[in-house]
Amino acid sequence: MKTHDKTAGEKLKLGIFVIAGLVLFIIGVYLIGNQQSMFGSTIRLYASFQNINGLKTGNNVRFSGLNIGTVKSISMLNDSIIVVGMAIDQKSSHHIHTGATAAISTDGLVGNMIINIIAGKNGGTAIAEGDTLLSFRKLSTDEMLSTLNVTNENAAMLTADLLKITRAINAGEGPFSTLIKDKAAAEDISLTLRNIHQTSAAALRIMQHTDQLILSLNDKNGLAGLAKDSLTANHIRSVAVNLDKTSAHLNEVVADLQSTINEIRHGKGTLNYLVNDTTLAIKVDTTMGKLDLTLDQLHQAGIKLNENLEALKHNFLFRGYFKKLEKEKAKK
Amino acid sequence: MKSILIEIGELSYFAGRFFREVGKRPFEYKEFLRQCYNMGNRSLLLVGITGFIIGLVFTLQSRPTLQEFGAVSWMPSMVGISIIREIGPIITALICAGRIGSGIGAELGSMRVTEQIDAMEVSGTNPFKYLVVTRILATTLMLPILVVLSDAIALYGSYLVENLKGDVSFQLYFNEVFGSLEFGDIIPSTVKSFFFGFAIGVVGCFKGYTCGKGTEGVGRAANAAVVYTSMVLFILDFLAVLVSDIFYDL
Repeated sequence: MKTHDKTAGEKLKLGIFVIAGLVLFIIGVYLIGNQQSMFGSTIRLYASFQNINGLKTGNNVRFSGLNIGTVKSISMLNDSIIVVGMAIDQKSSHHIHTGATAAISTDGLVGNMIINIIAGKNGGTAIAEGDTLLSFRKLSTDEMLSTLNVTNENAAMLTADLLKITRAINAGEGPFSTLIKDKAAAEDISLTLRNIHQTSAAALRIMQHTDQLILSLNDKNGLAGLAKDSLTANHIRSVAVNLDKTSAHLNEVVADLQSTINEIRHGKGTLNYLVNDTTLAIKVDTTMGKLDLTLDQLHQAGIKLNENLEALKHNFLFRGYFKKLEKEKAKK
Repeated sequence: MKSILIEIGELSYFAGRFFREVGKRPFEYKEFLRQCYNMGNRSLLLVGITGFIIGLVFTLQSRPTLQEFGAVSWMPSMVGISIIREIGPIITALICAGRIGSGIGAELGSMRVTEQIDAMEVSGTNPFKYLVVTRILATTLMLPILVVLSDAIALYGSYLVENLKGDVSFQLYFNEVFGSLEFGDIIPSTVKSFFFGFAIGVVGCFKGYTCGKGTEGVGRAANAAVVYTSMVLFILDFLAVLVSDIFYDL
């Protein structure tokens, strides 16, 4: 009886042992299969690349950072196109649209290769079984290192130049050195800064005054206030109307004057003859010359006449008469 | 050299006889289940403790190096792949070779020395079928289960260290482990576990069944069973890696 119980107990323990082992194995297989999208319904998508950078079947496919599938097939179409087939979880596939693009990258800096699907900007319709996604090529690590190498070389050259400049400044060469070491220059800079400070203060005051001026313009009693007043506005409007009328009259007067001048210029009247005839001008000029000569001669005759009159004053015949005139003038 | 070749030939003949006998009636179910219990259940404690310690030690030893590179987050992936692919199967198989292989060699050797096997033949019982086939089948089937349990315990040990030293949750740890594993890791390791179990059973039984005379022969049989089994395990492991490299792009 004891042997039978012992055997039954052993069988039970053996059963538990075997079941535990199998359950753990099945859980492991399920979890791995689930990671590789083997148990859910999937759809097949494709993307073409020029270089897949060591991508292998089983690598993950990500959309917005979420694992949504795995790489299922890799086939070389020709020497420059490699077609990658992906099994995408059907539930997630509804969120991927035809404008989406696929890129091969690494999971972290040194991780496995993955395919990143990036949502398109222009939307589009949801992808369907067998669709081919657009693809783009990301910079590889080698290319990044190459670029970094160029950057490093440039940085080295810049550093060398900077070192030269620093040494020159320390040695007292060039204007920068003067600027740094010369006390007078420093004082000048300080003075300039003070002036700038004062200028800015003055500018601030001007701005404040301008601000006040603008505020006063907006004031009811100010100029703008007057402009806003309806009575004043009516007065200004009537003044403007009068000014407009006056301006019209002035225009008419100017037009009349213009026509008169035109008639003088182009007409056949006396004025036109006086203004435009050159022979008349010459004759007048000649006459004026003669007149001028005649006047000179008259002036000479006048001087001589004065001399004659002076001589008469001293003549005994007329001397009495002139004395009599002087006495009457003195009495007055 | 000649003796080694003769030994290999006899071992191959012994293994061939197993395949001839395994399909023939009568099936020794009770003996088979008893051997399964002895080899599976009774080895579990030893295998479990070893796996747990391996998980702890492996994580503790690897952690500082990964920390230097700022790659502690890769610990579950690294430990998972290492244990599932290689360390779990080979360590479990070596422990079983020590415990089960030597046990089989000593048991069958003493039976040979005390002429119990001869007595079974005289009584009409097929000693090869009763003693050898059941043991080889038991080791072949029990070792993969022991490997799975050992892997699980080792991963749990690794998780405990990670949880104590770092701040990783159970779910995250095992998500990371299974996220990094592929069928190319778990299938070859499981398949080779069957071969390891078969090798332990075959070599142990061969050494015990063909034991020399006297108590000295029993001790030699037990010792040879462990040594040869260990060597065969490493050769099989190497071949398994080569074959899985062909079928799975590792």
